[in-house]
Amino acid sequence: MYSQRREHTMLQHGNEAVVPAAPTRRRFLGAAAAGAAAAATPLLTGCGGPAKADGGTLKFWYFYDAHSPDPSDRARAKWFQDVVKDWNADHEVKVELYYVPGDSYQGSKMVTAFASEAGPDIFLLSPGDFLRYQNGGILADLTPHMEKGVIEDYGSSLDSRMVDGKVYALPMEVEPLAMYYNVPVWEKAGLSEADIPVTWDEMLDVGDKLRAKAGAGLVFQTDPGYYQNFTWYPWMWQGGGDVVDENGKAGFDSRAARQALSLWQDAVQAGIAPRTMPAADDLLTSFTSGLAGMWQSGIWEISGFRTSAPKHKYGVFKLPVPPGGKYTTVLGGWSFCASTQGRNPEIAAEFCAWALGGMNDESVNRTVDWCTSSKSDIAPRASALERAAKKGGYDFWAMKKFKEEIFPGGRAEPRYPPVVYKAVSDAIQATMLGGKGVAGETDRAARSIEAFMQSYEGASLI
Amino acid sequence: MTSIVPHTAHQPQAPAADAAPSAGGRRLSRTHREWLAAALFLLPDGIGLGVFVVLPMFLSIALSFFQVSGFGSYEWIGLGNYQRMLNDPYFWSSIWVTAKYVVVMVPTLFCVSLALGVLMKQKLPGMAAYRTAFFLPHMLSLVVVGLLWKFMLDEQTGVVNKAASALGMNPLSWLGDPDLALYAVIAVTVWYMMGYYMIIFLAGLNEIPQELYEAAKLDGAGTWTAFRRITWPLLRPTSFFVLIMTTVAAITGTFDLVFVLTSGGPANGTAVAMFYIYQQAFVFGEYGYAAALGSFLVLIMVALSGLIFKVTKGGRFDDEQ
Amino acid sequence: MSSDTATITKAAPAAGTTTAPRTGTTRRRRRPFGPRAGLVALAVVLSAVSIFPVLWMITSSFKTRTTVTDGKLIPTDLTWSNFAYVFTEVPFVRWLFNSFITAAVVTAVALLFHSMAAYALARLKFPGRDGIFVVIFSTLLITAPVILIPLFVVVRTLGMLDSYAALIIPPLFNAFGIFLLRQFYLGIPKELEEAAIVDGCGYWRVYWNIILPLSRPILSALSVFFFLANWNAFAWPLVATNGADLTVIQVGIASFSTQYGANWNYVLAAAVVAVIPMLALFLVFQRQMVESIKTSGLK
Repeated sequence: MYSQRREHTMLQHGNEAVVPAAPTRRRFLGAAAAGAAAAATPLLTGCGGPAKADGGTLKFWYFYDAHSPDPSDRARAKWFQDVVKDWNADHEVKVELYYVPGDSYQGSKMVTAFASEAGPDIFLLSPGDFLRYQNGGILADLTPHMEKGVIEDYGSSLDSRMVDGKVYALPMEVEPLAMYYNVPVWEKAGLSEADIPVTWDEMLDVGDKLRAKAGAGLVFQTDPGYYQNFTWYPWMWQGGGDVVDENGKAGFDSRAARQALSLWQDAVQAGIAPRTMPAADDLLTSFTSGLAGMWQSGIWEISGFRTSAPKHKYGVFKLPVPPGGKYTTVLGGWSFCASTQGRNPEIAAEFCAWALGGMNDESVNRTVDWCTSSKSDIAPRASALERAAKKGGYDFWAMKKFKEEIFPGGRAEPRYPPVVYKAVSDAIQATMLGGKGVAGETDRAARSIEAFMQSYEGASLI
Repeated sequence: MTSIVPHTAHQPQAPAADAAPSAGGRRLSRTHREWLAAALFLLPDGIGLGVFVVLPMFLSIALSFFQVSGFGSYEWIGLGNYQRMLNDPYFWSSIWVTAKYVVVMVPTLFCVSLALGVLMKQKLPGMAAYRTAFFLPHMLSLVVVGLLWKFMLDEQTGVVNKAASALGMNPLSWLGDPDLALYAVIAVTVWYMMGYYMIIFLAGLNEIPQELYEAAKLDGAGTWTAFRRITWPLLRPTSFFVLIMTTVAAITGTFDLVFVLTSGGPANGTAVAMFYIYQQAFVFGEYGYAAALGSFLVLIMVALSGLIFKVTKGGRFDDEQ
Repeated sequence: MSSDTATITKAAPAAGTTTAPRTGTTRRRRRPFGPRAGLVALAVVLSAVSIFPVLWMITSSFKTRTTVTDGKLIPTDLTWSNFAYVFTEVPFVRWLFNSFITAAVVTAVALLFHSMAAYALARLKFPGRDGIFVVIFSTLLITAPVILIPLFVVVRTLGMLDSYAALIIPPLFNAFGIFLLRQFYLGIPKELEEAAIVDGCGYWRVYWNIILPLSRPILSALSVFFFLANWNAFAWPLVATNGADLTVIQVGIASFSTQYGANWNYVLAAAVVAVIPMLALFLVFQRQMVESIKTSGLK
């Protein structure tokens, strides 16, 4: 009794005062509330908030704070403000930015708003949530608004945002994961650049040496969540394993998955990796306070160091590989989306495509600026990456390393729906922190994923 | 914008029952006057609770018969969500975690708050300072509480382990070990809530006439006897209140603490039912299913409270019928 | 309904006749290191344990971004910059103002409504009283996450989103206060108001002139509780309002931690500032909170 159905009908949103009788229709909840609470109030649908006279302004929810303590965060907010300013200068339908605090962005606020049709018209989406939104019929098709050649320009970084050849989200950035190491601790342990690990075993050995000098030798994410799964997938991929194979069949029960689970389990049980995140999950403070030696994290840390601890020495290296394995990392990153529920989905989609999906200089430069001046990321479009490199955006040693060594061979963050996410998450948690047997947990997750796949009817998982 | 209505403005609007009975017109009998007064006294809260609590709850129950994708598309599936609940191992394990949590947390919090209340009733020098110290944790916001204890309980740098190793114990990962995490969360909850219930117990203790203790003392009763024969029985309404409130809070209100301390981990060790419901609704967007789980949980609590009411006879004073 | 409490009240003075074995001496003289000194020591130790994390919070709020989590209680480098930042770079005063208005209005109005309802439930006789109490009580069991979305829809339908009304009106209605006050009113001696009613006072006068003054301690405690709860509210304000004008303090503090790491130093500094008004409130009200009901003050 659990299948996610796609909505095939695109629903019109006028100001219908007539409440549909059939409970299977949308707005059931609103209708009931209206009937009970306000009786005769005709329901205002489709747009958030009270009916303010805002002449159909599109609401764009984002999570970069214009007042942030972090200058780079302020710069990011400014990038968004500039995009909106440019748009509003020569378009009739205006766009307005609303700031939502980062931690809550995908949580209760967004869900509550969408569930009661008061969601934003334009918003940011992470890959992990893509399928849920797509299957919920909330993402507008951006393809008709995109210029020719843009899809090719994006290349594989668009794959995970497409369904049946149509684009539903435009990535702003690509964020690969790598290993960061803390140079002062590294030196205290008598290690040098020559000791940078290439295999899993070397990594554990080095971690063991670092442990004596810092509380945590090697840090993997410990808190359960989408992010933990995201950081774990590459370890499985390196051994050739997958949650769902290219034919869309469940294939979690593999040697590769088991050895990836074992890696994290061994690291924790040997005391090399901590059971909770040092410094409440803040890499920067952990490094400057000497609490951690190595830490798996993403390219975004570079700009953190740049603004908050420019003098601190750190290094970056590719994720080590298992015996007989092939180097892989995972690529995250946020994207622009338009809501089909909004007051003007067409224009919202047009806005996304205009901002990021044009072949003109302005559109490409936006991505360049975002990935190299506002943030420290890989640009998702070939043309933008080339242009950014020419401008010197990847001259800094860490950025260069990410662009040339770490990013190639990366694979997009999967877009698995909640049930699959939960099965994998439980396997990671139970083995890593619960001390449960790797084989049993892999088997359990595999069966749960398989059962789900049999009744699943949404868009392809890959 | 609402404006504050000054209290004085309420006096002219005093219930009609205030009118002197001799003011002509229809005279209500005393009984009816009392009924009318009661109705008017209950009116503001009655309407408010109806609109902002009961109505949303009914909508939530109604929602539980639908499959909701989290984006306002509803599909009637009857009892489908409830069937799914019966076969959902995660939900039942979260109920189990909740049960453990309640069984350990409620008595602990009750006893600690009562002990603090009794301690604060003694006339000791510097009382105001101690009271403030015990209540201070409750003034913090949960996000900060989570952050503070993450540091206090950290395996490497946490003060708790430093104190433990000074006593010759091995350092433990309080929040990273599935066997310990729940108890760590309980300890933090008790720390956070004890000052709150201490104040409530104090209010109850202050209601007990001092003369009774004087008399008991003259009769040579010891401290313990006085507590058993005077304090405990006369404190019953307060105890009943605290017992109910801590139970309800343990089932419903603590998921925020779980959220900030452990996110339900490690290995689902602290995934209490409310946390799971929150996750279904706001992380997975399964709003209909979450509504079913929530309705079920509310039902469980109604049953539990009924039981507590029955066992403690409502914890009320004898009220003439 | 049992009458054993009443009997116990009567029996209690007599309890001593069923003698507790006398221990120790009958001397009334205070010994210098008697049980009282022990109690003081206990209170001091417990207070220290209770307050330690708060001290850690205060000292850490003077640390820098790079040392805030080094685990040391005493900061190696003191800085006021976190506080300076909080008051200059973000609209912190506005957040404080929004939280203050919300908490103050909710507290004042809720106390009035709840004490009225509690008075009726505890002191007036009318058909269905117990049934109504049970219904009101059962609303306590309904938790925010379960009804968050329907509540949002109700508030939106009433056209209150994005206004102070959205921040103030829904939190007013909570059975906690009604329940606590009712428990309390059950314990007030009946004779006090019965005399007044016989004198021909209306129910409102009885409530206003007798019950309310009597319940000052419990109302003080509740006002601290309510004020705190609304001052620290996060989930509902986050969902119910958009935009900077209506940001409350906790939502504001939440914006210091982002998707890409947190500025714990600012979070802690802001939290310290946010606690100061609460501490002041508590200190002002605590005397009233713990004072006994002085029935003798009634003529």
